[in-house]
Amino acid sequence: MGTPRMTLQTQLVLRALLEDPAEQRYGLELCELAGLPSGTIYPILARLEQIGWVDSTWEDPAVHETAGRPRRRFYRITQDGAAQARDALARAYRSRRQPLPGWAAVDPATGGGPS
Amino acid sequence: MKARRWPGPRRVGRADTLLSLDGLLDTVRAHHPDADTTTVELAYAEAAFWHEGQTRRSGDPFITHCLAVAAIVADLRMPPPVVCAALLHDVDDTACPPRRIAGQFGDEVADLIAAVRATVVSAYSRADQGTVLASDATGPSPSPSWETAVLAVRLADRLHNLRTIAFVAPARRLLIARETLDVFAPVASAAGLEPVGRELRGLASAVLRPAPSSYAVTGRLLDALTLLLPARRRARWREEWSADLAALTTRRARVLFTLRVLLGVPRLALLLRRRAGRRERW
Repeated sequence: MGTPRMTLQTQLVLRALLEDPAEQRYGLELCELAGLPSGTIYPILARLEQIGWVDSTWEDPAVHETAGRPRRRFYRITQDGAAQARDALARAYRSRRQPLPGWAAVDPATGGGPS
Repeated sequence: MKARRWPGPRRVGRADTLLSLDGLLDTVRAHHPDADTTTVELAYAEAAFWHEGQTRRSGDPFITHCLAVAAIVADLRMPPPVVCAALLHDVDDTACPPRRIAGQFGDEVADLIAAVRATVVSAYSRADQGTVLASDATGPSPSPSWETAVLAVRLADRLHNLRTIAFVAPARRLLIARETLDVFAPVASAAGLEPVGRELRGLASAVLRPAPSSYAVTGRLLDALTLLLPARRRARWREEWSADLAALTTRRARVLFTLRVLLGVPRLALLLRRRAGRRERW
């Protein structure tokens, strides 16, 4: 199903979703959790939904009617999505830890780099 | 025009609508394991044929309304003929010849449709406690009375219209909401169709609840923004955004929210319009 481009924003959204994978969250809530503006969140969520990492459902009528507000769209990371997201986040993290080109990389054997 | 962008060969044609013919058939089978659902499939094809090219105010193809109404009716555990009538309840407004439905689907379905269209809901008094369904909510699906079947379709029609009321002119919206609260919701509850009654009340009350002025403005802007999205996706995002907007308490937060959504809309539109086959490369 493909993977999303792991931009910093996408990583933040995934981290927010993975904080409590079973929890259902609506868009605005994720904006706050991820610290991102609304215009960034929705396209990312739509993309994650397209590739099956996230699924979304409308709020249970019993809940929003009791609260007297319009129904919210809730997002939750899928099981498969959670596994893939953790991998992708780990990969993104590793790649950020090696910003130097190959010739300048730290030699793991000696622990030292070029001086 | 936009429908052509969707490459999937699905029977319903729109993989992203939550409702599909398959889902409808599953619901009917779940409640009526022994029933033959072929007629439901035929009724869907018939409705799709006559409503071809018609759209709802939301921009959705008209058939989505037929399917949604049928899904509500099926959820109420109505048997296949009633589900067929729900699928076909508006074909009389198309070029469909008057006797065709009776010929194809039998007099029961045709009579049901005629009754649904002729029904004045207010004529059903609350004293008419024909609680056919309420008494047997978990057992095998009972046969609904004629009146309950007619009401189920009529109320499902109203329910789906309310769910999509955002696309109706504001003045008319208020009228519909008022009538729903005064007439439709009480009748639904009295007829034992309580889930429908509850949702009708909730949706109609939300329309009548006065919104703060800035919310009204930002809400209208959000409505306008959804026009940039593919037609079949508009209703979902519009509803999602207005619910999130309603969660914000200050005017400033609502304006900021709306402006930021505005910035993200082109990207979202692009993403939603992208063909499925090209998704991998994004």
